[in-house]
Amino acid sequence: MADSDQQGQFHQEVSLLDVSGIETGYDDLQILWNVGINVRRGERVIVLGANGAGKTTLLKALVGLLPAWKGAIHLNGEAVQGMRIDRRISRGVSYLSEVGVVAGLTIEENLRIGGYHLASGAVRSQMAVMYDFFPDLRARRREAAASLSGGQRKMLAVAKALMSRPQLVIMDEPSAGLSPLFVSEVISMVNRFHGEGISFLVAEQNVKFLEIADRVYVLDAGRMIFSGTVEELHKNDALERAYFGVYG
Amino acid sequence: MSTFLFAVVSGILFGVFFSLMAIGLNFAFGVMKIVNLAHGDFVMLGAFGAYYALTVFGVNPFATMLLEIAVFLVVGVGLYYGIIPRLLRSDDPEMLSLILFFGISQVIEALATLAFGTNPVTLPTNALGQLSVQLFGQAFGSSWVIGFLVSVVAIGLLYLYLYKTKMGIATRAVMANRNEAAASGINVNRISAVAFGIALALAAVAGVLTPFMLGGIYPSVGVNLTITSFSIIVIGSLGNPVGTVVGGLVYGLSLLLMQTYLSSWANMVPYVLLILILLIKPSGLLGKGARNA
Repeated sequence: MADSDQQGQFHQEVSLLDVSGIETGYDDLQILWNVGINVRRGERVIVLGANGAGKTTLLKALVGLLPAWKGAIHLNGEAVQGMRIDRRISRGVSYLSEVGVVAGLTIEENLRIGGYHLASGAVRSQMAVMYDFFPDLRARRREAAASLSGGQRKMLAVAKALMSRPQLVIMDEPSAGLSPLFVSEVISMVNRFHGEGISFLVAEQNVKFLEIADRVYVLDAGRMIFSGTVEELHKNDALERAYFGVYG
Repeated sequence: MSTFLFAVVSGILFGVFFSLMAIGLNFAFGVMKIVNLAHGDFVMLGAFGAYYALTVFGVNPFATMLLEIAVFLVVGVGLYYGIIPRLLRSDDPEMLSLILFFGISQVIEALATLAFGTNPVTLPTNALGQLSVQLFGQAFGSSWVIGFLVSVVAIGLLYLYLYKTKMGIATRAVMANRNEAAASGINVNRISAVAFGIALALAAVAGVLTPFMLGGIYPSVGVNLTITSFSIIVIGSLGNPVGTVVGGLVYGLSLLLMQTYLSSWANMVPYVLLILILLIKPSGLLGKGARNA
């Protein structure tokens, strides 16, 4: 028992995000059943699932856009399941929704609200860092985000998510609506910032993201049906057929 | 010709004042998607505040204005936390807000009637100061000119807040996409509460100017002011504060031209404009695209 406690304590110490037994949904409609997930420091974790599997619902529950009916969510060992979303964000989590940007604001204003919790000096310096990473955004910083193409919007969304200097970036279907070329660009962006020490939790149905995954979860009809490495996923015949069948 | 020019210049002076009167209603709608049908009643309370401050205590209307801004800001924030989060959690917050604020409007009017009576009260037009302006050979009274200038300053300050401050940019983010703003880490409730406080503070400023711009005030005038404000924001663009200025100018010019040439029909102006806009361009003159501006 003592060993088990010690193990649990150790597990929480190394986990950036530790989620167990999450159940939630919309009104009376339950979407998730007993879902657990874990992201350690420096990891890139992919949650794979088809449309309607509950990926967005899970991410919304993690960041606080949707209340969790049951279960526990720990960020850096701190229980946050009852915490307001802005407080969760200020604790080092950043959420990149499918929309990702506020279309009515300019590019610079989007970056400013991305760094909403930072002091004004820190916002300026972080904005300079983002403009160095994404020079196209600097050139168009006074333009409305609505004027950007899909790929450029995603670029802005990533920059906005990184403005708060997060430890963990949670991304909801970053490949949605993008051409294969831009999907590759988003993947290289994730790799680039992972190299800076940022952890990523990415919900996707595009298996191309598995190229960069340290670990994979598979969500199906609101239940987590697989957890392991990409190699282990390939060894699972049913999942291999479901997600890679088109290539077989 | 001089009559026409007088009507046009007066229409602009009044139009900007009407913009100020309506902008709080539109601002609250833009941020929270709720319709504050008691908005005109808050303007009316602001007007009675100015009346009693001047006639009973001899307080200058500008001093009253500053005091009312602080009081209405606090009342607005309190009112927000007391009722609006509950409304926003409902399935149809817009419809519920109509019913709830209609009730609040009736309560305010009833209490105001008990407190102030039903007889209209007026203030001397020179109480605001002396600043007569000559344009096109016509003199425009000090209350109109000062009312116009105060309105320009108040609307300008709202613009600066929305476009040049951290909280203002966050407010525009909430107006554009509440969920995305929340996902960015913005405390949407706090931003909305401050916005509702600012909306009432703007109503208070308009209220202090009302006796000088529109004449006699009485408790039931609040309903008329709400209807006028609502017409203005629909004419401009519902949810877009910039649209309110356009709506206010269209309304002010139409009203003053009607009062000049067809005075007996002038009271119909807000209703006719409202119907015309809803039939021809339901999204308002600035259109839906401007709502996120």
